[in-house]
Amino acid sequence: MNLKEWIFTTDHKRVGVLYLIGSIAAFAVAGIMAMLMRIELSTIGPTITANPTQYNVWLYTHGAVMILGFQIPALTGFFANYCIPLMIGAKDVAFPRVNALSVWLFYVGVILALLTFFIPDPPDVMWTGYPPYSTITTGNTAMYSFTVLILGFASIIGGVNFLTTVAYMRAPGITLNKLNIFVWCTLAAFVLQLIFVPVLGTAVSLISMDKYLGTNFFDPTKGGDVLTYQNLFWFYSHPAVYVIFLPFIGVVYEIISVHARNAVFNYKMVVYGGVGGIVLLAGEVWVHHLYVSGMADWLRIGQMVTTLLISIPVGLMMIGLIGTLYKGSIAFNTPMLYGLGVVFLFLIGGLTGIPLAVPSLTLGVSDTYYVVGHFHYVMAVAGTFAIFGGVYHWFPKMTGKMYNEFWGKLGFWLTFVGVNIVFWIMMDIGVQGMPRRYYDYAHFPQFESAHQWMTAGAAVLAVGFAIAVLNWIMGAINGKPAGDNPWNSPSLEWTTVSPPPHGNWPSPPAVAEDWHPYGYKKA
Amino acid sequence: MAYDAHHADGHAHPHWDTSIYPFIISFGILALAIAFSFKFVYHNGFAAILALGLAVPMIIAGIVGWTSEAMGKGEGLSYGAMGWFIVAEAMIFVSFFVGYWYTRLHADVWPPAGTVALPKLLPLVMTFILVASSLTIHYAEHLLHLGNKAGFRTWYVITIVLGACFLGMSAYEWSHLIHEGFTISTNAFSTVFFSVTGLHGSHVVVGLAIFLAGLPSVLRGGDVDEGFMRTAGLYWHFVDIIWFFVVSQVYYW
Repeated sequence: MNLKEWIFTTDHKRVGVLYLIGSIAAFAVAGIMAMLMRIELSTIGPTITANPTQYNVWLYTHGAVMILGFQIPALTGFFANYCIPLMIGAKDVAFPRVNALSVWLFYVGVILALLTFFIPDPPDVMWTGYPPYSTITTGNTAMYSFTVLILGFASIIGGVNFLTTVAYMRAPGITLNKLNIFVWCTLAAFVLQLIFVPVLGTAVSLISMDKYLGTNFFDPTKGGDVLTYQNLFWFYSHPAVYVIFLPFIGVVYEIISVHARNAVFNYKMVVYGGVGGIVLLAGEVWVHHLYVSGMADWLRIGQMVTTLLISIPVGLMMIGLIGTLYKGSIAFNTPMLYGLGVVFLFLIGGLTGIPLAVPSLTLGVSDTYYVVGHFHYVMAVAGTFAIFGGVYHWFPKMTGKMYNEFWGKLGFWLTFVGVNIVFWIMMDIGVQGMPRRYYDYAHFPQFESAHQWMTAGAAVLAVGFAIAVLNWIMGAINGKPAGDNPWNSPSLEWTTVSPPPHGNWPSPPAVAEDWHPYGYKKA
Repeated sequence: MAYDAHHADGHAHPHWDTSIYPFIISFGILALAIAFSFKFVYHNGFAAILALGLAVPMIIAGIVGWTSEAMGKGEGLSYGAMGWFIVAEAMIFVSFFVGYWYTRLHADVWPPAGTVALPKLLPLVMTFILVASSLTIHYAEHLLHLGNKAGFRTWYVITIVLGACFLGMSAYEWSHLIHEGFTISTNAFSTVFFSVTGLHGSHVVVGLAIFLAGLPSVLRGGDVDEGFMRTAGLYWHFVDIIWFFVVSQVYYW
């Protein structure tokens, strides 16, 4: 092992592994923040801190690091890097140095986010950074802005790199209708990143400029407008949900198709209807995050319609998954359990989102635990399950070794039970009126036992995730040899050796006329 | 060669490509972010200068090293990649303009108190110069494609001079307005004016920097990387087009 060849690497697989290590570390830190919040909330009144600002800092770190340091880098960093060049038969990405730059910018962004624990006046602006609070707080808002800007820039150059790679570097014979669903999904996510991340970058720059450089974007006394920020922020941050959703559902497609030994159901419907529909609609729904911020009724109704519309392409993608399972020969191994877990969790998350699209219903549950439970189901938990399932799925490819199936399944079931305890109860007490973001809930003593159940559930799921990560580490060290293609998949990444060498194949892989990544031979 | 690394080939130590420069640039940017916090959040000028003194050499060394390592070795993919990158760049301007429109159209009075009259003639001259530079770089590329290196060199240098003239006029205008008491902090319109023209100006600087990075090989008279020149030209045209929006929305509305 040559450390220099890892740190300064430009190889897409090693860059991918660096992304994985960094994002799992970020996941651990952000998970600890969540546990601290859960412990704090387990009793009424101060439990482990008497300082509400401390709680705000945990909230900030949990949200910002989970989204920007874990989910987006794991999906568009690790999976995209590791899988896309292998799936299209390329020797590397179009710009290997740019790729290395994006992974190290990602580390720099995570380092900035973690400096929160060591600096005076850490940022306390949640992951949203709404002004006027963010421009008047004593917390260090600049740290937040720079974290977002650096991670955003990393994902923009990553997006440019991968769009160019897939456009120009596919092996001969890999036509657009023979791309893996994961490649389609991730490309769509990169298009969304290119369009929307710059808007977020602008929004967070403006709050720091207002706070430190004396500009007046959000200062009404000088003619500025606070709502401008909310619009810019959600114009990115709603599509960010699809930036996470698309790659993770793509991972689930790969998992389910292989482990059910079934071609993806209605490939063109999934790609052009599902993925394409989401890309077209992603930028037209952000105002539903502002239903209670004040706006004209006609705008509310219009946004309700577009928000409900986007459930159609999302529904097509779910139909594709269920159809792929139909009459498949399903192997209930660890990656498949996570894949099925995503289908289940995403269904709950998706259905509980429909009431939130409707202003008349949303006004009642806005800023309650119902919203928190909903988006944790739909995005946080479903996305994390897909990431864990995907790592298990490609683990034999990355290491050439096999993980332990028993510990894998045990970890899955613990997390699965844990998340349902936490987030089902959360939605329940949210509907009953438990407000979100509160450090204490002395006015709602009736929810104390529910909070204690959630804290217990959080402990269970934390153990489950820890078992999974330990399982990978142990498997990478002394797992049994897995062979080059343990899942018997026709997809291109399994045709090279495990782990693949620099350059991936001795010469670009040739595919037969009737080859398809989902062309399973029936026994 | 990359493909030699296939492990079935034998026991030789497999070769993995590396580059140290992305690492250096990234940590330079980290130091830059920390310098900002020191200066504006913790008001510790000395620490800020230290961090800046670390950041700037790292970033410059990284870019110079990267350029010399990679220049001329591309696979002709940069033109398409620049197209995607411009999508992202355009969205930055879109967010500034939309934020501006949103604020302006919601305002009770516009322009807010404290606004001064902007010059009307200078922006016209600046527009003329920037459009001219877009035409000269296009003509230079055309000559390069025909193999006329001397002609290419002339028009390339003229483009750089025109770009520098534009920046000089912009700086003159800024100092004039600031002298009249119209600064970035005056009101919401001054904020928009200075941030949008400044953002556009920073893109002119980047465009010029790309041209200057290519200048040594142009002056040496050896082989010129035609793909590099086309990519640089594409970026320059983008900067030019954005200026029309700046001039129409900020100066003449």
